[in-house]
Amino acid sequence: MSGNNHQYAFFLGCIAPNRYPGIEAAAIATSKNVGIDLLPLKGASCCPAPGAFGSIDLNVWYAMAARNIVLAEQMGMDIALVCNGCYKSIWEVNHKLKHNAELREGVNEVLKEIDMEYKGTIDVWHLAELYYDPEIVGVKKLADSVKRPLTGAKVGVHYGCHLMKPRKERHFGNTESPMWMEELVAALGAEPVQYRNKMQCCGAGGGVRGYDITHALDITNEKLINMEEAGVDAVTEVCPFCQLQFDRGQLEIKEKFGVEHGIPVLHFNELLGLAQGMSPDELALDLHAIDVEPFLKKIL
Amino acid sequence: MAVKKDYMDQKLAEKLRDRKYYAPDSNPEFLKEVEKIGQTPAHMCYQCGTCTGSCPSAPRSSYRIRLFMRKAVLGLEEEALTDPDLWLCTTCYSCTDRCPRDLAPTDTIMAMRNLAFRRDIVPRNFLQTVQLIYKSGHGVPNNDANRAARKRLGLDEEPETTHKYPEYLPGIQKILDHYRLKENADRILAEGE
Repeated sequence: MSGNNHQYAFFLGCIAPNRYPGIEAAAIATSKNVGIDLLPLKGASCCPAPGAFGSIDLNVWYAMAARNIVLAEQMGMDIALVCNGCYKSIWEVNHKLKHNAELREGVNEVLKEIDMEYKGTIDVWHLAELYYDPEIVGVKKLADSVKRPLTGAKVGVHYGCHLMKPRKERHFGNTESPMWMEELVAALGAEPVQYRNKMQCCGAGGGVRGYDITHALDITNEKLINMEEAGVDAVTEVCPFCQLQFDRGQLEIKEKFGVEHGIPVLHFNELLGLAQGMSPDELALDLHAIDVEPFLKKIL
Repeated sequence: MAVKKDYMDQKLAEKLRDRKYYAPDSNPEFLKEVEKIGQTPAHMCYQCGTCTGSCPSAPRSSYRIRLFMRKAVLGLEEEALTDPDLWLCTTCYSCTDRCPRDLAPTDTIMAMRNLAFRRDIVPRNFLQTVQLIYKSGHGVPNNDANRAARKRLGLDEEPETTHKYPEYLPGIQKILDHYRLKENADRILAEGE
């Protein structure tokens, strides 16, 4: 571990470690190559899922997220994470608790029962924003870390919802037609592709995937049709839940609607891993529901 | 909603009485509750419809976020909380980003869902997530196929979470018990069986 590296407590969430462990492995390895050490955040739980928990009792959502934040406070380290859903819970609750004394008091009353106290001493970051931030990594350093440029690959970007929206609470600016993730994709040598209604939701959030899967998949299907129209070789995202919805969702769409897309779905860290020379095995790409092979043939 | 202003002309007042807005179903407290939980002043909504026009759920269902905003303002608690469409919001926040009144319709929906839950109105999948987290700390827990894959990747079979450190589980359970969330989830799921 280099002494000059930036260090973060790595908040894993659920779907990355428990369904797509390649994302976890890739995040650790690829970040190290650009000067970021991700250290284990021991005892963290589900963020908890903002759609599921926020919908039934916001107070529980605040308290559960606060517990995860306190674990990082105890390490004296900012949190880095790889999932938009986790970002909504961990970043947003941290933000609310820092700025709302009444809320903070309420949460601390509950945390007291487990000998914890939220102090508001750390910040929360999505790895994607750290990669883009020139003070931490920046596009140039990211490009310099590439050993196997993804030349010739057309990649559609799915930003997802909970990283950048609601715009007024966040710090990403434009949420109608952002281009910063395209810059990250271009840094890997791939060609970022624009498609219709790029900022539309994947369809899974808010508990809708569990509540009415046909409805959720219909939204997903619309996005996949739009990407297909633009001729993408793969879609990349920064949210394992979106990944699950696009990846496994394509099997469900085939079964329910009889439509086949065959679009490989890769988390940005998996894409970065490939560009930095990691093998498909090191990324466990065989766990993906949609065969990544056609994309690999383009780039390997 | 009490009628405060009336016509001086008693006959005209009488004639118009039934045509004035009066809904026995309306509960003005509902708006206050929704605004308090959602932390957004829903009564500022001027019904332009930008929210519904931005909504990915609207084109494929009868869910209309603008309608829910109106129901909040009118205090139509029963109608809003019993409507199955309430659970079709994906919380994408497109409406919130585009609202010309700077409101957060998404958070208004979340507030209504919170209020619905207090009356045991909640789809089962939400409660099942609670049970999973109570048991394992994860909404999507580990499984054997995944453990094998993790091992292959050189990761520990259990991630550095409550999975590897179950001693953190009692703390999580205490938080959930504080709000009686697990107890209520179990009860509502059992009643639905």
